[in-house]
Amino acid sequence: MSQPNDPKREELEDRLVDQALRELLGDEAPPELSDKILAAAEKHIPLSAQRKEQVMNKSKRSNRWWFPLATAACLMLAAGLALVLLPTVQSRREAGRAGPLASERLSSYEDSSRPQRAPVGYSTEARPAAEAPELGAETPEPAPAPPMAGPAVGSGRDYRQGSFQYTQGQLWSDQPTGLGPGRGGDRYDRLVENPFRMVKDHPLSTFSIDVDTASYANVRRFLLREGRLPPPDAVRIEELINYFDYDYPGPEGDVPFAAHIEVAGCPWHAEHRLVRIALKGREIPTERRPPANLVFLLDVSGSMNSPDKLPLLREGMKLLASQLRDDDRVAIVVYASAEGLVLPSTPGFQRQRIIAALDRLRAGGSTNGGAGIQLAYRIARENFIEGGVNRVLLCTDGDFNVGTTSTGDLVRVVEEKARSGVFLSVLGFGRGNLNDAMMETISNKGNGNYAYIDSITEARKVLVGQMGGTLVTIAKDVKIQVEFNPVRVAAYRLIGYENRILAAEDFNDDTKDAGEIGAGHTVTALYEVVPAGVAVDVPGVDPLKYQSPMAPRQDPSTRRELLTVKLRYKEPDGQTSQRVEFPVVDSGRSFGETSADFQFAAAVAAFGMLLRDSRYKGTATYDGVLEIASAARGPDVHGYRAELVEMVRRAKALSR
Amino acid sequence: MAALVRAHQAGLWRYLRFLGCQPAEAEDLVQETFLAVFREGFEVRSPAQTAAYLRAVARNRFLMVRRRERNRPWAVDIEVAEGVWARATRDDLSDYLVALADCLQTAVTARVRQALELQYRDGASRAEIANHLGLAVEGVKTLLRRARSALRDCVEKKLHDEPTERSKT
Repeated sequence: MSQPNDPKREELEDRLVDQALRELLGDEAPPELSDKILAAAEKHIPLSAQRKEQVMNKSKRSNRWWFPLATAACLMLAAGLALVLLPTVQSRREAGRAGPLASERLSSYEDSSRPQRAPVGYSTEARPAAEAPELGAETPEPAPAPPMAGPAVGSGRDYRQGSFQYTQGQLWSDQPTGLGPGRGGDRYDRLVENPFRMVKDHPLSTFSIDVDTASYANVRRFLLREGRLPPPDAVRIEELINYFDYDYPGPEGDVPFAAHIEVAGCPWHAEHRLVRIALKGREIPTERRPPANLVFLLDVSGSMNSPDKLPLLREGMKLLASQLRDDDRVAIVVYASAEGLVLPSTPGFQRQRIIAALDRLRAGGSTNGGAGIQLAYRIARENFIEGGVNRVLLCTDGDFNVGTTSTGDLVRVVEEKARSGVFLSVLGFGRGNLNDAMMETISNKGNGNYAYIDSITEARKVLVGQMGGTLVTIAKDVKIQVEFNPVRVAAYRLIGYENRILAAEDFNDDTKDAGEIGAGHTVTALYEVVPAGVAVDVPGVDPLKYQSPMAPRQDPSTRRELLTVKLRYKEPDGQTSQRVEFPVVDSGRSFGETSADFQFAAAVAAFGMLLRDSRYKGTATYDGVLEIASAARGPDVHGYRAELVEMVRRAKALSR
Repeated sequence: MAALVRAHQAGLWRYLRFLGCQPAEAEDLVQETFLAVFREGFEVRSPAQTAAYLRAVARNRFLMVRRRERNRPWAVDIEVAEGVWARATRDDLSDYLVALADCLQTAVTARVRQALELQYRDGASRAEIANHLGLAVEGVKTLLRRARSALRDCVEKKLHDEPTERSKT
């Protein structure tokens, strides 16, 4: 096929070099269109029932001269069908025929389906499948997956056989996928779900906030890229919920964050109530962000030599570097068999130098992560900016195999360094030997946050979109303690945050570390509450022999309150904590009356419970989650919520 | 589906640029391509087949647009273009870019590299480059042409003669 001397060919080869040079040296780069395309596709995806018709319409459109004629024929055919078929089918067909560009038709389709979406609560068990039009294509029993939603199902499996992955949108990998869930490969800590607790025995519930989102990206990798259900221990529900942006108003007074507490019916358990505690960190515009002193601590060991690791890391860091202000500083420390300073602390205006240093990174050797951490913190200390952002960004697959390798030792190193005022961000890459457990632990102990980067889109979300939140901590050691009122509440259960639970006395103990909240970050926690008087299936304790039970004597003014939320936090450089308190009264709202954000968060929680096959999932089903999540998508500018809907569909198909 | 888009959108965009689309036009066509593929159903094949299939759809859309604008000059021989692309890039430009980055360090002199950087990074004109390097404008033209051809050969060699980084891991 190659005819080296063909002038046409040579010209084209030259053109290719030219194009590649533009990209390599100049500033041309392919735009990231995935979100846009997926959002558009989401709207236009026809149900299998209308697929044929769509294809016909489509082909008419491309062969233009007989297009009008054929369209007419098609419409006639459609009209004929409409007369024959049942009304429900008809409404679906209408929707499908709206065609790809008729967005106004599509929106009316959405409207027409809305009344069927049961605005108040949801008990999908009782709901006939056919009523949910959006799910129509997937509802029929184990029937073969519909071809159109099918890429979802089929692709998952086939992709795994073909075993590919991509970075920066482009490389195919020959590497085998990770081993099965729970075997070798990726390492996850066992997660035991919080049980229901009786208020009379445990009136206080205390936990540390968590703004990490790594688990979500990881679960997405399993569902969308590898086409299998994630191992239950990889699903940390609070991280799924906190992955999304919620439209909570920011703080107004001195407190660096605002708290919003909402109570409504629980969608997966008709008699229970759902309490949402939402925090929103103060937004800090880029120009007012304090200058940053960053140390990139990059793992360039042999295990990073895979397209979804080092190349993605390099691109991600370039993205971050391109966002820096002139008064920021960046140093790059790499570690493999030995650690090394690749780029001494360099001011932000020398962007090209930073980018060139990133471009030179190559992978090879074993992984002495411990030594790298020491060096990175030292550099961070040497260039410390008083009142600024001082942060080490550790990018790795976490597979430390030389030097300090035990998680315990690493935690000690990081904990000690965190006291020096340098914060830590952990960015996890790759799969196969992702040490999720270690990375989460050290980020928690090192005043840090942890994100999992599986694509350039995710890198952009974490490092560009949420750069403020990732870099600027506005409050640290944020703890939440909830006191339940036994008059109103019989039992409660905190959903997620399993590895963030604190002892009640830790709340007032300022030496106990807890989570950080970054600028603009939102944190959401959900409690499932069993109201007083409703039966609770919790093994109680025997009545106490030596204590005389105290009758609950209460000030009448507090009797109405369901619970009180207390928060403690420290300023980023403070040592003593502040305390704020919010009493909460249940206004008796139903689930359907709540905000879209509340509903969406509840749907994500239910999704997490389904993925974990939780014993607390109640009446939750994938169909129910789909219904709520699709209805509560809101504006969804970046398409993240649409992506969740896609994940639920996939999980549903995989769980058959 | 999301995986499909994420894996191929950048490659398709580059391909359309290669065929001569302006960036915005390439962007539109990439979107149209995926929407068309989704509408008509899609069977997952091997990565290479998938990429080739997507390219074929994109190419057809591109040709449709070009035919509609009859007065616009259209010089690329589409068959040859496809051949060059598929062979040189193995379906995606990423390997190519990696190889090219290496070649920039090894196959050309520092002076040539400087000329290329002036042209591509700083958008300097030939006259400016000539001025900077103390050459005649004609000389710069030759220099750049030779540089491109050296890089082309180097990349070609890297991609087809040596095992790549990828197959080593």
